[in-house]
Amino acid sequence: MREQSKYLEGVDKKDLFASGHRACGGCGQALAARLVADAAGENTIACVATGCLEVFSGPYPDPSWRIPFLHSLFENASAVASGVDAAYKALKKGPVNIIAHGGDGSTADIGFQSISGMFERGHNVLYVCYDNEAYMNTGVQRSSFTPYGARTSTTPTGNTTRKKNMPMLAADHGIPYVATATVDDFRDLQLKIRKALTIEGPKYIHILAPCPLGWGHHGELTVEICRLAKDTGLFPVYEIIDGKVTNVRKIPVKVPVEEYLKPQGRFKHLFKKGVPTKEVDVIQEIANQNIERFNL
Amino acid sequence: MEKLPLGLALDLRKVVPYETGSWRTLMPVNIMQTPPCNQDCPAGNDIRGFLRTLAEKKDYEAAWHVLTRTNPLPAICGRVCPHPCEDGCNRRDFDSPVAINSAERAVGDYGLEENLEHKKLIAHRKEKVAVIGSGPAGLSCAFHLAKRGFQVKIFEAYGEPGGMMRYGIPSYRLPNYVLRQELENIWKLGIELECNIKVGVNIPMDQLIQTHDAVFVGIGAQTGLTIDIPGQDAGNVFSGVEFLRDVNSGKYVDVGKDVVVIGGGNTAMDCARVAKRLGANVSVVYRRTRVEMPAITAEIDEAMEERVMFRYHTNPVKIIQDDDKVVGILSVQMELKEPDASGRARPVPIPGSESVIPADTVILATGQAVDYDGIEVHKRDNKWISANENLMTSIDGVFAGGDAVLGLETVSAAIGQGTRAASAIEDYIDGGVESRLSSPPVIYSKDLNTYYYNKKRRFQKEALPIHMRLKHFKELYPALDFEAIIDEAERCFSCGLCFNCGNCFMYCPDNAVRISEKTGLYEFDLDFCKGCGLCAKECPCRYIQMTLEK
Repeated sequence: MREQSKYLEGVDKKDLFASGHRACGGCGQALAARLVADAAGENTIACVATGCLEVFSGPYPDPSWRIPFLHSLFENASAVASGVDAAYKALKKGPVNIIAHGGDGSTADIGFQSISGMFERGHNVLYVCYDNEAYMNTGVQRSSFTPYGARTSTTPTGNTTRKKNMPMLAADHGIPYVATATVDDFRDLQLKIRKALTIEGPKYIHILAPCPLGWGHHGELTVEICRLAKDTGLFPVYEIIDGKVTNVRKIPVKVPVEEYLKPQGRFKHLFKKGVPTKEVDVIQEIANQNIERFNL
Repeated sequence: MEKLPLGLALDLRKVVPYETGSWRTLMPVNIMQTPPCNQDCPAGNDIRGFLRTLAEKKDYEAAWHVLTRTNPLPAICGRVCPHPCEDGCNRRDFDSPVAINSAERAVGDYGLEENLEHKKLIAHRKEKVAVIGSGPAGLSCAFHLAKRGFQVKIFEAYGEPGGMMRYGIPSYRLPNYVLRQELENIWKLGIELECNIKVGVNIPMDQLIQTHDAVFVGIGAQTGLTIDIPGQDAGNVFSGVEFLRDVNSGKYVDVGKDVVVIGGGNTAMDCARVAKRLGANVSVVYRRTRVEMPAITAEIDEAMEERVMFRYHTNPVKIIQDDDKVVGILSVQMELKEPDASGRARPVPIPGSESVIPADTVILATGQAVDYDGIEVHKRDNKWISANENLMTSIDGVFAGGDAVLGLETVSAAIGQGTRAASAIEDYIDGGVESRLSSPPVIYSKDLNTYYYNKKRRFQKEALPIHMRLKHFKELYPALDFEAIIDEAERCFSCGLCFNCGNCFMYCPDNAVRISEKTGLYEFDLDFCKGCGLCAKECPCRYIQMTLEK
């Protein structure tokens, strides 16, 4: 068996992010949130920005969280987390794991100033970004994480800009730990969460979490799509420790981007009767650039 | 109201979760399926079962008990079986099939080394069953009946039990001590054995039928068939079975310098390789080409390694004698024309292509037949015993199996027939109670999710080097490394049965796969499962499948 299938010790209880949440079937974010919660353990405070995660896991009276949970506005999860950190310091309590959870919109667009501020002030907070590449909660509007060519409700003919490179922006704040991960390799993801929580200072982890509804694929393909995103080079998996890119996941067998685009409804318009249009070449070029840049 | 810690609006430990199971249209179920190896095994062995026992528990004893549930002769099958299981193995499409045959031999050898004993299922029953012939079919039938408590008595025509395993298979493939030990283990179940009794000659068949509740006929195909060729009554002309029987009984056979074997089946290969070990130059004469040879491919390869000459497209016309002694055979070259009834190309002689092959001994391995002396049953094609689907012959209460029914087949096929006959005999004695189970559908490699398996090299058993093979009858493949076999067993995909990889458990976004407190296995919490199908998609062995809601 692959190493990946051996799960870590202590994550087999799975009782910190419980069943009964209202996520769609096959939700990548629900899966990722559970993996993060289980890896972090009980001594954790979750500060969750508005978005899908908060909507499906937070409503009173039956939230899924079995750890202290703070719901904030769309833009200020990291500011709230900073406040929690400051409060713990002032009360001389702790140590405690403070994790801010945000979607791609709240991380890269609306909440960018507060996350930037949190990084700059050096709070001991782990920021986890669930990247589903659009504002899924409000009806699949384009965010600055939406990749080139993807159809959203505000870019019906395909997005014309490229995805913002948030892990690099976070790293340029000079924070000690930045990592990317996907839900298909749960062992890798949970190891990164545990590693981040041992480091003092602001940390940033970027998780690719497919959205079956917004991406237009069947719920059972969530893991498969993540695997293809990694193997095509569109989503490089790496760590940045003290400004240096390390532990890059090498692609075992390179896959053309068509394999990744075809199962997804949001890229359907890139294929005219099954023949790829020139946008596919642009996406392939983006993948090639990633492969070259990170030596995948 | 209970006082909550500062900042908490709600005691999260007392939350009643919202049951999302009602959203579901498809539900996951665990379905055990038949792996192709089990399907293709003529003896009906639980191959996945014993490989997984080896891989997970690393316990040879448990694996031996899994294997001997169906197969009384694992050490023998591990040596002589042409392993159709490996041809079916789903790993074939991934890298290379699991070395099931070697694993079986290792498990069988472990059983012999540790003197493991078979377990009886039912201690005692008063019904008596007679088994005629102690070959693999008879032994297997007797074994399964004795395990179920029946009083079994075996009648063997020759001096020692084992049938073709004793007198047909040369000892470089199956050493005699392996057969003896494996048989001794079977006798411990309380089976009576009477040798040198030929039913129909020394004791009438009717007497057996009257004194026993059922009779099993596993007499094999012990008579060598000869082809119509002038000069075959000369000295030093043997039939294949006769030659092998003489050598295996320890008789001195003077084969001389040149031996010609006629035929292309397994018996021909055995004869050729035995003659080679007796120090002769051997050539195999066959009418067609290698492709049409009915012998097992590995046997042909090994014979070629041992420098047995193969003369294809050659047909013997006449055995040339000098003073009642063979000096050569006159042969003619053939060419292949359109296929005949058996589907093989029909050879036609080329006029004027006659030549003489010198020979001191000629072995005619051109087919075998059943020796019906004193046993009167209906026959199929006037050759083999005809039996219905319960293996019962034309006589009520008389069952048959093995080569005598199937035509020329393998040890494993005979074992499988014996097993089936044992069930049928039990049903017959119990008054027609059907106890056969239908097996679930077979799973093929296109259904598996092979992403989660690692590529790994196949275990390769090492044969003796060629220069060391031909001087004696020592076993061709020396003892196997038990540790290496456990590594090999870990290559098994466990097609169609959970092997605790944990993918469903970790990938469920709804946390609806739990570890059962009772069994320790994964189970679905259908109150919360939304039916997304992620677990089924990522299940490597396809044990989980999505079905319509019940």
